[in-house]
Amino acid sequence: MSKDFLADEDPVKLQEFEDRIERGEKIEPVDWMPKLYRKQLIRMIEQHAHSEIIGSLPEGTWITRAPGFKRKLALMAKVQDEVGHAQLLYSAAETLGKSREQMIVDLINGKSKYSNIFNYPAYTWADSCFISWLVDAGAIVNQVANSRGSYGPYCRALERICVEEAFHLKYGHHCVIHMATGTDIQKKMMQEAINRWWKPMLMFFGPPDKISAHTETLMKWKVKMLSNDDTRQQFLGMYVPKIWELDLTIPDEKLRKNDDGKWEYTEPDWEEFKRVINGDGPCNAERLAVRRTAEERGRWVREALNRPKATYVTPLA
Amino acid sequence: MDEALKELLYKMADDLLIIGHRNSEWTGLGPILEEDIAFSSMAQDKIGQSQVIYQILNKLGESEPDIVAFTRNANQFHNCQFVELPIGEYDFSLMRQFLFDLAEWHRWDSLSGSSFEPIAQAAKKFRGEIRYHNMHAKSLIKVLGNATDESIQRLQKSLDESIPFALGIFELSPFEELLINENIFKGELKLKEKWQSSVSEILLETSLILPDLNEINPVQGGRTGQHTEHLQPLLDEMSEVLNVDPTAEW
Amino acid sequence: MKLTDRSLDPRINRLQLSETDIIEKDQLDQLETYEVFIQTKEGRPLQHEGIVHAYDEEIAFVFAKEQFSRRATCVGMIIVRSDNVEASEMNDDGRNVYDLFQEPSVIENEKSTYEVFHLLKRGKQHIHAGSVQAGSSEEAFYEAKLNLDPGNPARPVLNIWLIKTDDIFSSDEEDVELWLTTPGKTFREAMDYKGADKIKKYKESKENG
Repeated sequence: MSKDFLADEDPVKLQEFEDRIERGEKIEPVDWMPKLYRKQLIRMIEQHAHSEIIGSLPEGTWITRAPGFKRKLALMAKVQDEVGHAQLLYSAAETLGKSREQMIVDLINGKSKYSNIFNYPAYTWADSCFISWLVDAGAIVNQVANSRGSYGPYCRALERICVEEAFHLKYGHHCVIHMATGTDIQKKMMQEAINRWWKPMLMFFGPPDKISAHTETLMKWKVKMLSNDDTRQQFLGMYVPKIWELDLTIPDEKLRKNDDGKWEYTEPDWEEFKRVINGDGPCNAERLAVRRTAEERGRWVREALNRPKATYVTPLA
Repeated sequence: MDEALKELLYKMADDLLIIGHRNSEWTGLGPILEEDIAFSSMAQDKIGQSQVIYQILNKLGESEPDIVAFTRNANQFHNCQFVELPIGEYDFSLMRQFLFDLAEWHRWDSLSGSSFEPIAQAAKKFRGEIRYHNMHAKSLIKVLGNATDESIQRLQKSLDESIPFALGIFELSPFEELLINENIFKGELKLKEKWQSSVSEILLETSLILPDLNEINPVQGGRTGQHTEHLQPLLDEMSEVLNVDPTAEW
Repeated sequence: MKLTDRSLDPRINRLQLSETDIIEKDQLDQLETYEVFIQTKEGRPLQHEGIVHAYDEEIAFVFAKEQFSRRATCVGMIIVRSDNVEASEMNDDGRNVYDLFQEPSVIENEKSTYEVFHLLKRGKQHIHAGSVQAGSSEEAFYEAKLNLDPGNPARPVLNIWLIKTDDIFSSDEEDVELWLTTPGKTFREAMDYKGADKIKKYKESKENG
């Protein structure tokens, strides 16, 4: 297979770089790295950061309406964590040479992507419970895999994130358990939320990977750790039984585990996925409009917080 | 005595719950990520503090915190009107935080020596949190209050709009003398004096001008259940999910 | 796709979103960065945690306290502007990076104190190793080599950060109370959300009809 994208890289340096990764050592910001590595990591980490800040919006709407002190405080802390994760991830991407200004601008001008699942609306409290439990569960599958990747700053950010996600997962599950084992009104609300979110949830892991020299190289460089189908299977294996044990149904007649351990399901509509991720979803316009408004309204604060002698340097670690 | 104590505790808890709730509206929408994170922590602190005070009230015979906080109507709340006002833009929320937190600093400081043991303990427990809230407000007001024409103008406008409402924090209770004589609390007048002094001191380091407080009519009524048109919608929103099924455990 | 008039999110409705053009940002719109180091317990060394974007050291401290220690046990925190950190090379072949340093050619008379931080493993973070007196960073690296190099061939120092003590903003003794209530905030810990009992009760209640 052709590897033209590595054509103008120093072969000696490339070999040292690949040897280091194979030894299981992390690459740090000051190290030599191929252009593709840097470019791909920036894109990946940046997208992850954008997903966190946009992801804070569907659950964020329920903070002021959370039922009771315990849920109120927990949801505030959870959404705060997401903003915190965005900060950690932007910082990791900054070490690769892209400024936070540029990353934010690319997000709000529609140039960069974020996880498609956040383009759907959280209609009810039960929707927020679904997101807190299962969307976070999906994210954790990816995060745990990527935390074994090769780039130091991204791994360090992911380690912190994984620790906080443990709280998110338990909180979300706790909420769903209460809904599913609660009153008839609660059960109905929860079931309807599952019916709404199941298809987007399956699409969360992305379409089946196309095998290419690109993908192979990225896996060798420990940038891509698991295939999209693998993460989807992991998720199904871990969480479908937990959903079923609460007597909640999943709106997919084909969903079952084969004898060989593999999960069967109705293939998601990848055309819909493409349409939504390219701007035609229920909430895309609103999500970006909110971020733009927040940025514009906060501009005076940032301008005032700028010291005359401020200088920016690319972070070291 | 019980009545006096409950009046004091209710107004404190209600202030904290409502301002915490307002400030939580900024989560995810802050002017810069780091400030968003800090502001959210402080909102959680405030709500956590209100919960502790409602728990003290519960031990004095009032209903449980969730009931008291999530099922009363506006005319039953004793927060000052200042804290129920909408979040506005960041200059207003920051200025409100600054003015409110300085009052909190002195209030909790005076309560740390209270003869009512539970509140004295709470005061000691929350010292670090209040310290952080004031550290945050002070450093931001000092920078933004000197930085650009726009930041100074915005903060000045917010200060001018806030002061009448801020003075409402110190609305006198019918039980002032009783609380002072029993060494439970040093009273709103003393509190206001200390607050005024701290506010002036800090603002002197900025380009902001504190209006003459003697010329201002305080906006009062919150302590006796008289509120702006903003509180009931806030409470309706706060209890929206709970009201979907009041019999449920969420 | 057009913005709808009403959002599902009440606070977004209150914001009254406006349509905006393509947004530009000035170069320092997100300010400059500051390095954050935390001491989790008495007796433990300061360890690097990450960066915050801020106006100055004081505001960086306010920001860092929540971003990096809202859950951690913490007894001290220091802040330094990223621009004030001087880094050595990263060693590349298993040798100790201190091997690269030789006696400086020029010794300055006026000395400053420098704090020295070591990286002992790729993927981990820099840890405070101690301080040296020196008249220049060249001297400081050499002094650190003489006095702070652990000299363990099994764990060579991979990378060194030098920071002038004067450039460091440090928390006070009394600041310890800032972290007093942190351990009690279990509402944001996984341990507060044990659902297994409720599932068990639910299953039992089904069996009992």
